[in-house]
Amino acid sequence: MNHKRGFTAFIVAFVFIFFFGFLWHGILMKPMYLATAAMWRPEADFNNHFPILILGHAVVAFAFTGLYVSKVGMNSAGVGFGYGIVIGIFSCGVNIIRFAVEPLTANILFMWFAGDLICFAIMGALVGAIYKPLTTVT
Amino acid sequence: MNWKRFFIAFVALYVFLFMWGWLVNGVVLKDVYAETPNLWRSQSEMASLFQWILLGQAFLVFAFVAIYATGFAGGGILAGVRFGILLELAAIGMRMGIYAVQPFPGKLLVLGSIGGLIEMIIAGVIVGAIYKPRSTAQ
Repeated sequence: MNHKRGFTAFIVAFVFIFFFGFLWHGILMKPMYLATAAMWRPEADFNNHFPILILGHAVVAFAFTGLYVSKVGMNSAGVGFGYGIVIGIFSCGVNIIRFAVEPLTANILFMWFAGDLICFAIMGALVGAIYKPLTTVT
Repeated sequence: MNWKRFFIAFVALYVFLFMWGWLVNGVVLKDVYAETPNLWRSQSEMASLFQWILLGQAFLVFAFVAIYATGFAGGGILAGVRFGILLELAAIGMRMGIYAVQPFPGKLLVLGSIGGLIEMIIAGVIVGAIYKPRSTAQ
């Protein structure tokens, strides 16, 4: 395992998922969340839980990178992109089930769907471009 | 790709996740969910959206078997368990992110993650035992 490249990939994945989440959920989807305010923590309460959000992002980035690194022969941006799409499908499955049990709107579900697929696909491409097994590093 | 084994693993995992989801969410954690009724749909509403749960689960199972088959196959049950643990780690990170923005009790995060870890380990055992690459399948 190439720990140096693996660590770099993890940091890039973490920074990307954090900023993508801020753009997608914090700006683009903000009106949808405001329209369903009773389902979400109020601003002050959310701020109190912000460290958990950051830690959660770090855990996702670590597991995402760890899974990729564990997969023998996966060492290109294209393969990483495909891997990200499949992880995105996994996440979409979670979102669909949440839609069935939580009073979410169809718009929120659609945006989560699109957001997760785009986010994980790009994240996969980034990790795939950065991580190379020791034997193939130039 | 060994499609026959893929299909059998898909069906077996689908059945297991369905039963496990019912046991954990419908029985064990029922009282914890009841503490925050405003965050969940009513029983009748959930029943009317039941097909979404079935669809979402199909997404989860497809992604699980697809990643195992392309990256971990050949390693058997141990590789399946390792994969299940890593994937659950990503799910725990996602759950932490949800907890940071939704006002459900912390014990739901903890109990849900413990249940999820056991679920994904068993899922890894099932898929690892069933799916074999073409060259090693008997």
